[in-house]
Amino acid sequence: MATSSPTTPESPAPSDATTNEARRSRRSFVFFGALAASALLPKAGSAQGREKRRKQPVAEPASDSTTSEFATVRQNESAAAFAEWDSTLGRVVRRASYGATAAEVAKANQLGFQGYINYQLNYTRINDDVVENAVAQRWPLISQSSDALFSADSGTLRSQLQEATIYRAAFSQRQLYHRMVEFWSDHFNQDYDKVGYLLAADQRDVIRKYALGKFPDLLKASAHSASMMVYLDQNASRNTAPNQNYAREIMELHTLGVDGGYTQNDVAELSRVLTGWTVQGRGTFVFNPAIHDWGAKTVLGVTIPASPASTGAAGINEGEKMLDVLVNHPSTARFISTKMLRWLLDPNPSETQISAIASVYKATGGDIKAMVRAILNDAWLAAAPMKLKRPFHFLASSLRSTMPTITTMSTYNNQLNNLGQPLFSWDTPDGYPDKVEYWAGNIVPRWNYANVASTFNSQTTVIVDTTAYRAGSPDAAVDLIDQNFFGGEMPAATRTALLTYVKAGTFNDTRVREAIGLAISANAFQWY
Amino acid sequence: MNEEHPDDCGCQEYNELSRRQFLTTSAVGASAAFFPAWLPKIVMSKAYASNRDVIVSIFMRGGADGLSLCVPFADPNYYTSRSSIAIPRPDSTSTAKGVNLDGFFMFPQAMTGGAAGTGGLMPAFQAQDLLVVHATGQLNNSRSHFDAQRYMEVGKPVDPTLVTGWLGRHLASIPPLNPTAPLRALGVASGLQKTLVGAPKTLPIADPTNYSIGGSATTQAQRLAFMQSDYAAAEEPLHSAALDATNTVNLLKTVNFTGYKPANAVVYPTSSFGRALRSVAVLIKSDVGIEAAQVDIGGWDTHSGQDPIAGSMFKTMQDFSNSLAAFYADVISTGYNVTLVAVSEFGRNVRENGSQGTDHGRGTVMFAMGKGISGGRVLTKNWPGLAREQQDSGQDLKVTVDYKDILAEIVQNRLGNSNLGFVFPTWTPTMLGVTR
Repeated sequence: MATSSPTTPESPAPSDATTNEARRSRRSFVFFGALAASALLPKAGSAQGREKRRKQPVAEPASDSTTSEFATVRQNESAAAFAEWDSTLGRVVRRASYGATAAEVAKANQLGFQGYINYQLNYTRINDDVVENAVAQRWPLISQSSDALFSADSGTLRSQLQEATIYRAAFSQRQLYHRMVEFWSDHFNQDYDKVGYLLAADQRDVIRKYALGKFPDLLKASAHSASMMVYLDQNASRNTAPNQNYAREIMELHTLGVDGGYTQNDVAELSRVLTGWTVQGRGTFVFNPAIHDWGAKTVLGVTIPASPASTGAAGINEGEKMLDVLVNHPSTARFISTKMLRWLLDPNPSETQISAIASVYKATGGDIKAMVRAILNDAWLAAAPMKLKRPFHFLASSLRSTMPTITTMSTYNNQLNNLGQPLFSWDTPDGYPDKVEYWAGNIVPRWNYANVASTFNSQTTVIVDTTAYRAGSPDAAVDLIDQNFFGGEMPAATRTALLTYVKAGTFNDTRVREAIGLAISANAFQWY
Repeated sequence: MNEEHPDDCGCQEYNELSRRQFLTTSAVGASAAFFPAWLPKIVMSKAYASNRDVIVSIFMRGGADGLSLCVPFADPNYYTSRSSIAIPRPDSTSTAKGVNLDGFFMFPQAMTGGAAGTGGLMPAFQAQDLLVVHATGQLNNSRSHFDAQRYMEVGKPVDPTLVTGWLGRHLASIPPLNPTAPLRALGVASGLQKTLVGAPKTLPIADPTNYSIGGSATTQAQRLAFMQSDYAAAEEPLHSAALDATNTVNLLKTVNFTGYKPANAVVYPTSSFGRALRSVAVLIKSDVGIEAAQVDIGGWDTHSGQDPIAGSMFKTMQDFSNSLAAFYADVISTGYNVTLVAVSEFGRNVRENGSQGTDHGRGTVMFAMGKGISGGRVLTKNWPGLAREQQDSGQDLKVTVDYKDILAEIVQNRLGNSNLGFVFPTWTPTMLGVTR
């Protein structure tokens, strides 16, 4: 059964004000002039530029004693935003969503800056029935219990998890919530190849349940997740020979951070505390007193006295106590704050910003909503550099912009694989990188995808309807692309080039689809 | 990811940009200097041989257990420490026995194509083109995968201001083998590995056999032109990536991957690692100017159910060994100037844990392969021993050879780059006779 992309019943039509503002901005000759001028300057990275520098006279080789003076590469993660990206609402929508379509910007326009953030944060009040009903109908496995999923086909379940996740990110009205679901899915990353069907429960009962909840609840739910126990070998740990995998990563990756002040001895001791935390049957977390180490331990300066084995099930409290120590540790406040700032705002947050958000963490008991609200303030957003969309984000953006009629979501799932970010398939516990230097080089697969995605026109797979783009003039087509793909803030130079391209051939379906492909390929579509 | 490490700031490097460099780039934003800044102090290596080697650099991600990859069977503590996962001695009657290398070390059968010891890595070893270095690794004692990998790839531990990789700096400090080559190096991955960061004309290419923008052939040139113009003012590093990508699309169109017939009727494994090495072989033989390739192989984080005899680590080692064997027979044994190195961020605990696995440790093995490698042996700097009192922190194989010593000798003698102080900052290498 084909499902149309859900419309946005509660979003108002784009107001004239928005359109006019966008048009003014687009036609601003100052911006255009600045861009055009800068395009003519030699770029450091151009072949020409490199050749020129290579011919410069150079001094004799530096001696070893001066090697520390060698500079190499300016790692740039601070890409200044396009001149056209000058609206407050555009900025917050780009950060809070998977793509600033005209519809999403109009919604923000109606609600106002803070109103839009509050609306997105109070996500349970957003009626998302259209999307959730589609998810329940098309991917029914993911809502089932681990017990039921034990015998489900593993490949089918993996696809259902991946496809539903893409669908929700693209079409849910709860955009900011799903941005945070993605964030925590990497923070508590697990590889489906290792944990299999258990992942469905982890995604549902840990990540999606607490993505905008309290961090301590999220961390504790994760620590009681059968999937996490299996992923980090906690289920294989026992008193006679503790396995340190989970004990290390819960401190290094989940709470304190690698420089958060723990030692190898703390890892070893925490692994002893956590012995007995394991899995039974088909994905049921249990504490097994028979394999718990009842001796005295000291973790992060906290002493847990020896207890008799007769303590039994209450032995779990040793670990629960340590989870409290971890979530209340100042390093955790800083680590989580830094990582959230990097996700939502700036790859290089300032000390001021980190301290401010860490204070919110401490004051609110790790309330994620409060932290997000503090991060998304206008002043910080205005000064923040652009971030490069990861492939998942890029693909979801393209879906929001093309609004396809999708019969086979697998079409997009396979494309995400080609783009280099198959979901739930990053095998190490650090999750997919969110670093521009990691993803920037992988641009050709994006261009290839853009071409493929723009040509979808099949009843049996996916239809991207281009009727509206062909209804008027080439100018109108490019205007519509601006609205749907750039929220009315398409860079002027891109607009000019795109219009030139459309006019260079017969104005027909093929040409329009190529223009859509170029819009998805464009530099500005890669950033947010 | 190490979120607390400001490894992306690059402030130090930014501050150290020369005045000339700064003036060149400030007009378009100082950020445009993502590519190696050819600072006056860096001198292109002059003393390089025109026939210098192409390097294939392999990262065994996850912390590979050197004690299973190359087993010190003559150290009795190996057997007492590994009651359930030890590989039987070569002189045992077990069908799972290892293959003797030198009376002290042996390869497991996963690495030798079976009990006869005539397959896998054995031909390269016997031809003295494969060197195994043991009890090697990094002196920094991090047991975090992510820190340890970063330190190893960067080529210097801890320094948050150094963000380029050792291989990236090598390429940045030596003229290209082919000045007109659009692509000097590639990472066979969806994202650029840290080892290569800083290298000019370098891209991650997950699948070189399918690298195109698709669509109508009639409009392809027009569409590529749109991209070149649209990305002309793009922020770095996207600007350079787009430029290199458009050139590389045109380059790879000319390479016939599907019709490639490897030498010696070699069949590469169909694993992702095997396919990656096959693609690298095609690129090397196509003579398109590729000087370096970074290839990763995962699956080494053997916390549980390690089973190097028939289980999970057996399969990983077999894939590693068979893929290297194919590359050896196809490329190296046929006379191409290629050096291959394989490293891992750390080894595993000497003593197995309670789940028939091993936790994060310290010393491990690394491999170097090539006609210019003084191989056919297991290089150690006095075997540190596996007795408890001989172990690092009472649990691990000690690191007695810094991996940078091995790489530095290869960079200097096989890659023709004498700028070792730039490639491995603050490290004074000890040459151990790794190259011929």
